[in-house]
Amino acid sequence: MEPAEVEFLAEKELVTIVPNFSLDRIHLIGGDLGPFNPGLPVEVPVWLAINLKQRQKCRLIPPEWMDVGKLEEIRDQERKEDTFTPMPSPYYMELTKLLLNYASDNIPRADEIRTLVKDTWDTRMAKLRLSADSFVRQQEVHAKLDNLTLMEINTTGTFLTQALDHMYKLRTNLQPGESSHSQDF
Amino acid sequence: MPSKQKPMRYGHSEGHTDVCFDDTGSCIVTCGSDGDVRIWENLDDDDPKSINVGEKAFSCALKNGKLVTAASNNSVQVHTFPEGAPDGILTRFTTHANHVTFSPDGTRVAAGSSDFMIKVVEVTDSSKQKTFRGHDAPVLSLSFDPKDVYLASASCDGSVRVWSLADQTCTTSWLLLQKCNDVINAKSICRLAWQPGTGKLLAVPVDKVVELFRRETWDSQFNLSDASITQPLNVVVWSPCGQFLAAGSVDGNIVVWNVETQQCIERMKHEKKYSICGLAWHPKYKQIAYTDTEGNLGLLENIGDVEKPDDKVSSAVAKDYNDLFDGDDDDYLNGDMVEPPSSPKTGDNEDDADDLVQPPGHMRRAVIDDDDDNSLDIGLIKASSGLLEKEDDGDDQPGGFSALPSSTQQPLYDGPMPTPRQKPFQSGSTPVHLMHRFMMWNSVGIIRCYNDEQDNAIDIEFHDTSVHHATHLPNSLSHTMADLSTEAILLACESTEELASKLHCIHFGSWDANKEWTVDMPKDEEIEAICLGQGWAACATTALLVRVFTVGGVQKEIFSLPGPVVSMAGHGEQLMVVYHRGTGFDGDQCLGVQLMELGMKKRQILHGDPLSLTRRSYLVWVGFSAEGTPCYVDSEGIVRMLNRGLGNTWIPVCNTREHCKGKYDHYWVVGIHENPQQLRCIPCKGTRFPPTLPRPAVAILPFQLPYCQVATEKGQMEEQYWRSVLFHGYLDYLSKNGYEFDENAKNQAVKEQQELLMKLFALSCKLEREFRCVELANLMTPSVVNLAIKYSSRSRRLNLAQRLSNVAVEKASELAAAAAAAQEDEEEEKEEDFRHHSKARYSSSATNRGQLPGRNVHQDQEEEDDEETEACEEAEETPEVAHIFTFFFILSSEIALVASSSRGRVNPFKVSSSKKDPVVPSANILDNMTKYSKKTSGSRAVNKQNPPVIKPLTPKPKTKQALAASFFQPRTPAINPAEKIVEEKEEKAENESQETKVTAQENTENRRPKTGFQMWLEENRANILTDNPDLNEAEVIKEGMSRFRMLTSEERMVWTEKARGGRVGDSAEDKKRKRPTAEEDEGKKSQEQKSEDTNVSKKSKPLDASTNNRLSAFAFKQS
Repeated sequence: MEPAEVEFLAEKELVTIVPNFSLDRIHLIGGDLGPFNPGLPVEVPVWLAINLKQRQKCRLIPPEWMDVGKLEEIRDQERKEDTFTPMPSPYYMELTKLLLNYASDNIPRADEIRTLVKDTWDTRMAKLRLSADSFVRQQEVHAKLDNLTLMEINTTGTFLTQALDHMYKLRTNLQPGESSHSQDF
Repeated sequence: MPSKQKPMRYGHSEGHTDVCFDDTGSCIVTCGSDGDVRIWENLDDDDPKSINVGEKAFSCALKNGKLVTAASNNSVQVHTFPEGAPDGILTRFTTHANHVTFSPDGTRVAAGSSDFMIKVVEVTDSSKQKTFRGHDAPVLSLSFDPKDVYLASASCDGSVRVWSLADQTCTTSWLLLQKCNDVINAKSICRLAWQPGTGKLLAVPVDKVVELFRRETWDSQFNLSDASITQPLNVVVWSPCGQFLAAGSVDGNIVVWNVETQQCIERMKHEKKYSICGLAWHPKYKQIAYTDTEGNLGLLENIGDVEKPDDKVSSAVAKDYNDLFDGDDDDYLNGDMVEPPSSPKTGDNEDDADDLVQPPGHMRRAVIDDDDDNSLDIGLIKASSGLLEKEDDGDDQPGGFSALPSSTQQPLYDGPMPTPRQKPFQSGSTPVHLMHRFMMWNSVGIIRCYNDEQDNAIDIEFHDTSVHHATHLPNSLSHTMADLSTEAILLACESTEELASKLHCIHFGSWDANKEWTVDMPKDEEIEAICLGQGWAACATTALLVRVFTVGGVQKEIFSLPGPVVSMAGHGEQLMVVYHRGTGFDGDQCLGVQLMELGMKKRQILHGDPLSLTRRSYLVWVGFSAEGTPCYVDSEGIVRMLNRGLGNTWIPVCNTREHCKGKYDHYWVVGIHENPQQLRCIPCKGTRFPPTLPRPAVAILPFQLPYCQVATEKGQMEEQYWRSVLFHGYLDYLSKNGYEFDENAKNQAVKEQQELLMKLFALSCKLEREFRCVELANLMTPSVVNLAIKYSSRSRRLNLAQRLSNVAVEKASELAAAAAAAQEDEEEEKEEDFRHHSKARYSSSATNRGQLPGRNVHQDQEEEDDEETEACEEAEETPEVAHIFTFFFILSSEIALVASSSRGRVNPFKVSSSKKDPVVPSANILDNMTKYSKKTSGSRAVNKQNPPVIKPLTPKPKTKQALAASFFQPRTPAINPAEKIVEEKEEKAENESQETKVTAQENTENRRPKTGFQMWLEENRANILTDNPDLNEAEVIKEGMSRFRMLTSEERMVWTEKARGGRVGDSAEDKKRKRPTAEEDEGKKSQEQKSEDTNVSKKSKPLDASTNNRLSAFAFKQS
């Protein structure tokens, strides 16, 4: 999957906004949204929130976990543990990126949040590379992907599986294929 | 004058606290169980500096820029003050220290711990320690001798000891206290204190008295006690001058004595009666800071104020005192001394005294005498000091406090105490003293005010940006009040030295270029509250006036308020003013409310009625729901709403505190919506109001009426039903006042309510509560009653069904009577027209009836056509009957059905009609109605034989066809009865409706005898035609009608009689023809009853109205 596709999926997550316009319930294939009352918080998908925000039709209320204190805790926990820790949202990276890009004025201490999420992300990616390395080294046949988010799996998924394929080919060719190879020559 | 007690404020989380002043008295330092030491600039400081010293802080002491605390980590730490930087650990114990105190010179610190030890440590060199062993239980408190010779300590082992500092030996020991094993279990924390300066006395709180021990002899000198102390004393402190002694008790009393005279000069009660655990005397002023075990901080000001040196003995004392309390207060004292007795200040004081104490009989007289004496005193001081002495000889009141009648002399008054009146406020604003505050948060937008070093400005932001864009205004006039509506911003400021109080309006809805206007109040008149409505603005002032302006700035009405305003709110044409009706007692406020309409028809709806508040609470929000119903919120979080349906009473609709998680959390209400039912508010953690940053988010709370047993299904449904009724009351109000409103919403509401009633009905049926079922049926609409009847007959509750049918009949007659009353006036004129109407109406109502689930009875008897004629014939028998039936048809088809079904049994209208004069038919109808309803309820035996509604005749095959046919008839939508009547009036004027009437008439004319009007018309047609030759038929009739109406009633009577005389025989025949069959059928009916019941329900499925469908579906499901 492309990162853009993952982002597309992430845009279906709900966030709370405070609209500054009045609109009745809107009926969409994906479900009803609204009604929108000025000044009253309402939950909408991220794509709509960003759209409204760009048109200055709403104020965004950051998700509960998008808070420096909580993210620090998560980052520290992530650094402490060897395995992956559960993330506050399955799309934490995408949401942070989207919301901070488009609505950073509504998120207190946006820069710190960006850094914290990036730190967490880096820690997790390092863990992922490390575990992929040991996975290959020890020639394991399966691995658990607990608490990994879709975006993280995607960064390494395609590459790792292809690499494993190649390695498998190389290995199978190396041992019994010795003779067959020689036959060609 | 009693001391001024400022309201307490939240200082720390719940638990033990301690308080002290810094050396100069510029700030208050508190510590609490949250482990923080807070430094308060003053009591109103909203941003105290916090220093965290541990998980819990037990005690703190401050001297020479060193802050010593006893924290839960078993150490005694030093922090620098005021920076709060850690400055090392003085000493450690094996468990935590309970009390720390500085030596008078500030070089040493004594700490007493729960490990029975007392240590005295040099602040500069913590290695120099002295340990005092000897207590057999945790040490409660310590006090240094001001001469630095002794140290006093109290312990849980019940002993109070005095130690020699030099050799760490116990000099003396008293067993004074109750023994206990831990500080938590101690009845009192026994904070003892040594008299400052000489150290002559050691004060120890022993149960309910303060025992004073003399230095060196160590014997008890005397006790200080007061009748107001009913619980053990916790803390004792000396004033810095050593003259006064203050003690705080476990039940929240603070008492101050003059030690020399041993007289109590102050009594103060904690507003919530929490235990006082910290007391500190201001080093300079007459202030005492105190803290309680709930973490609150309070301040008493002007302790022992208004004392006068009117006595030789006391003059020296007072001199001391004046030296001691130098500064501003000095001026005040002097000022007070020379003030003439008639000065407003003194007057106030006396009033206060009188207010404070309302002692019965002689007590009161004594007080007044005192007052007189005092004023005399003051006068004499002014006149000559020679006389003074004589005066004082008579006044056996030594000491410097002769002028304190309310606190020193008069017997203690234990009755209800008056509550300070709450100050005026704007709903939806946060306190004025904040630097960043909300001036207004309502359903339109937010007004914020910034008032800091860089900026003094007002920010206005609209929730809906389509109303207006956000605005930023400089606040040069320092406005403190604001309101916001969809057309204007209203601001107001208090007067300053040179400027008057101003009302400033920014009318952004104006279409001209001048959007702003300002009005100055007259001199000495301050604006206290403002509000905006639709097209008007209003302000209430200190002159007890409410001034109304148009939104463009024209001055309009002015009226006086009965008391000082508390708050105002506006919505549409409605203005609500809340004011003080009088003085409340024991924490209650005594508020009144006026509600008026300032529209075209000006009227007052609430005439200063008392406002019901929760006990010991005050008003925090007052306003209107978005739909225009007045609401208010009190400090206990109860939201109340005006119930217009119950004579404008107030009903609690929500308790916001129920939704709070913490004890100190609150919801700050910003708006109320009735449809959908939403209480919009901002959750505030640990405060009453939100800060401006971070921007608070609105939360929505549901409403719940405080009905009993809402956990049960019954209670829940009852609550839902009444809530639905209440929250749709505004629709009635709107329709009554001629506003537009959503008809759909109303229908929805009725549907919802009826569904709930039906559910309740089914539930009661299940529980075999038939009486309750009937009660519920009384609340139902007629159509739903029919469903209920069916439900009950289906579930074999025949008795219930019979009673329900009575209810149905009564309802029908009530409705008819109500309508009759409404129509009363027109009746006489329209007498004849009704014939036309009844027909025209009938043709349409017949189709209505076709849709009815319960219409079976009548239709079963006859074919549709026959029935129609028959009904008409009957209708013509007498004018009254005609009226009635017309009404039935008009009102609603259901009722018509019930009425006609009852006709077989009794015709209440017929009996009297022949006797009574038809000229006043409406009165007759009413009479009959009452008779009729009595009769029906009285004649149950008849009913039993003959329950009309549920036991129809055997259906004839034709009926089914008719029924089927009625399915396809065009249905007129059910319109509400009142409207129909109105419509009907209009109809007369309309030509086309006239035509339909005519055609309807023609259809039946050949079968029917003529009416009086018709006969008249026939004779006069020629005349009309000659007058207006070009009229068509309809117009001729119309013209004829108007002419007929011009006739006198006698003439009309003649025609009516004529017409009647012509067809008496016919109708008599009709009657004869019909009756026997009906009776026969009824006889059969009762036999076939059971099978009939099932038939009925099968046959008469609800044909229309999804409500009915759903309701019946529900009903049948239940059975």
